[in-house]
Amino acid sequence: MNQHWTDRLSEYMDGDLSFTERVAVERHLADCAACRETLADLRAVVAAAASLSDAPPASDLWQGIAQHIAPAQPGVVAIGARAAQRAPRQFSFTLPQLLAASIVLAVLSGSGVFLALNGSGRGPAVATQPPSNVRQVDTRASESYYDAAIRELEAALEQSRGRLDPATVEVIEDNIRIIDRAILDARTALERDPSNQFLNEHLENTMKRKIELLKRATSRS
Amino acid sequence: MTLSVLTELETAVDPDRADAALAAGGDTAAFERLYRRHTARVHSLSRRMLGAEHADELTQDVFVRAWQKLALFRGEAAFGTWLHRLAINVILGRRGEIARRRERFSDDESAFDRLSARPTSADVKLDFDAALQHLPDGAREIFVLHDIEGYKHEEIAQMLNISAGTSKSQLHRARMTLRQHLR
Repeated sequence: MNQHWTDRLSEYMDGDLSFTERVAVERHLADCAACRETLADLRAVVAAAASLSDAPPASDLWQGIAQHIAPAQPGVVAIGARAAQRAPRQFSFTLPQLLAASIVLAVLSGSGVFLALNGSGRGPAVATQPPSNVRQVDTRASESYYDAAIRELEAALEQSRGRLDPATVEVIEDNIRIIDRAILDARTALERDPSNQFLNEHLENTMKRKIELLKRATSRS
Repeated sequence: MTLSVLTELETAVDPDRADAALAAGGDTAAFERLYRRHTARVHSLSRRMLGAEHADELTQDVFVRAWQKLALFRGEAAFGTWLHRLAINVILGRRGEIARRRERFSDDESAFDRLSARPTSADVKLDFDAALQHLPDGAREIFVLHDIEGYKHEEIAQMLNISAGTSKSQLHRARMTLRQHLR
């Protein structure tokens, strides 16, 4: 065993050597019991590190955190010298906003069941993504774009609903009602806070989900 | 549907994401649930990176920072992944200050030699965790990030502002030192 070969063992173990270097190390290992032993030890170290488990703090730290994040406290004083320089958090979400977020999750569950039951298929030839430059420039432009796509898909679904199973139509309509409620809530909230990025993204995502649902539904008809 | 029913649905899908959304709206109870689910990982990471004596303070700092930055959590990755990366940033950001506070930055070579004693406890895992604390700071951080947290040398090099080669050599030295502990 010599230092040159020993120093390569971690890289060998981690797969960081070139093919030529790896072959050279393997040739050396074939003849050097000491290096083989060292390699086994290094592997044991890595295995021990991987098997370490996480332990919670000995005492509950929540109270210390809670007193720094309480929304009622103006001018939050955070922990430590660096943290003390941070600006206080400013959020103002309302119940409708939270409700809208929750509804989307419910819709995802509902439409997920529907899609799982009915499989996937190709949707009608409706462009459902606004040009990327539009989305970057103006969220309202994206909204109009999605509105147009939704109208087109709804018309396609209306024309073909006679070919769908009534139970399927019921599921689709239930989900669309929930999505529409989420869209309405998001738009209502945006009227009060039009620049809220979370709400704008939330509205856009909800509209995308409606489009996706409509696409899947029309593809089944 | 009522809000409670919807929240139950949401929670069933992804409790972290649901609580993160609620916490972003100012719900401290939801944030406490996130804290309860993730505190062990954050605390262990803090303890291994900068020592047990700073782990409580760092853990609190990480969660306060997470609260402040929740609006930036987009849900593209799991909340735990997002929080973990935030924790790494907080810890690395505090290491210089902590090192100055304890008036040392233990990167001296003798630290490798001091760690030659065999485990004194039957609990090898506990001892292994304790043994980490005797490594020089730089080697310990690299070992934790690579062998425990799974970061690549290139990522570690970027985080610590060192070369990938330095990361590799420090990792090897840390492993060689710790190997004596397990023999």
